[in-house]
Amino acid sequence: MWLIYNSAMDKRLEEALEYSNYMVTYNNQKRILKNKFLDQNVYYAGGTKFKITKEFITFINLLLQKGQTKSVTVIDDNDNPVQIDDFKKFVDNVMDLYAKNVNDYYTQMQQIKKREIKDVLDA
Amino acid sequence: MTKGVILFANNNEQVDYIKQAIFCAKQIKEHLNLPVSLVTNSSDHLYKQYSTYVELFDKVISIEKVPSYQRKSFRDGPGPAKKLEWNNFNRADAFNLTPYDETVVMDTDYIVTNDQLLHCFELDNDFMIWKDAIYLNPHGKVWEIRNVSDPTIEMYWATVFYFKKTKKTKVFFNTVKHIKENWGYYRWIYQIGAKNYRNDFSFSIAIHIMNGFERNNYWPASLPGSKYYIFDRDVIIDFENNKFTFLVTVPQDQKKCTATTVKGLNVHVMNKLGLQAVIESKGL
Repeated sequence: MWLIYNSAMDKRLEEALEYSNYMVTYNNQKRILKNKFLDQNVYYAGGTKFKITKEFITFINLLLQKGQTKSVTVIDDNDNPVQIDDFKKFVDNVMDLYAKNVNDYYTQMQQIKKREIKDVLDA
Repeated sequence: MTKGVILFANNNEQVDYIKQAIFCAKQIKEHLNLPVSLVTNSSDHLYKQYSTYVELFDKVISIEKVPSYQRKSFRDGPGPAKKLEWNNFNRADAFNLTPYDETVVMDTDYIVTNDQLLHCFELDNDFMIWKDAIYLNPHGKVWEIRNVSDPTIEMYWATVFYFKKTKKTKVFFNTVKHIKENWGYYRWIYQIGAKNYRNDFSFSIAIHIMNGFERNNYWPASLPGSKYYIFDRDVIIDFENNKFTFLVTVPQDQKKCTATTVKGLNVHVMNKLGLQAVIESKGL
């Protein structure tokens, strides 16, 4: 009886550890993909750079909706004010870059969501 | 304005940095399409062993072979370390040695797989370097390096940096030279335990001095993207189609590891012996 009980425990633990190995690998791959997404999600213009966040997208679209299209001043990643001459084009470029990157991120995440460790590493 | 990359390669008894530089230059050509110059005290080795690859380099700049009198541990995974010569002291000379107006300086074990570094040339900064870095080992928090020493300053990674030739960057590189020449003093002031001279530390100290002995998030600016790295306790298994496969080691139980793959990210592969084996497996 003891042997049967012990063996059942071992199997459950074995399964848990197998799942844990999968989760460690999955979480690390996800961490790497997220950082890759963040690295790519930067717009370079006028000698400076802008991290594209949801807040930044909302903010620049709000300025555009308010009719600001030329010589608009925004704050860059180094906390410097930068004047953007063609603001409509700037917003379009930022949106395009974000859309491309978020789609790439989605595709890569779909790949690692598969259940086998091999698939997780293939992304 | 001329633009290019310079690599430093000084061979020791087991690590063929020239071979790494050739591999590194091929990746740079593929992804950045920039001229690459090689600064080396082992140019004979390049011309004799790799004569067909010499044309990869825009310029080969020979420097004098000076014994370093320093040894460093080199590992290939969690096994025992080899104590080999450590001779990587020419970074401070990058300003004078570079043939370019705008230069990216790179370690030969930094493998480029995307064009992110090209953004350096779009930014209006005279000097860029990474302070923060991402260790690909999810277990490896205890091995991460954030400071030059626990009680002192944050560490900047001299693995890769960009500079324009300006008065300010000239002062910076002269400061690094001064720190190198007075390493014993600065080691003591900044409470650095290790005796070996380390570029990361001298660059960090020079930045600290030039920022008025204060932390500053504006100068120098960060390079585009992030720095990803593995240590020599982690293992590189393969590199194919710009995809790395690593086994990253669990510090608490170094027989255990986790498989990790990275595609399209530049990685600083600090396991030089492992990287060399992978490069050799590709026929170089």
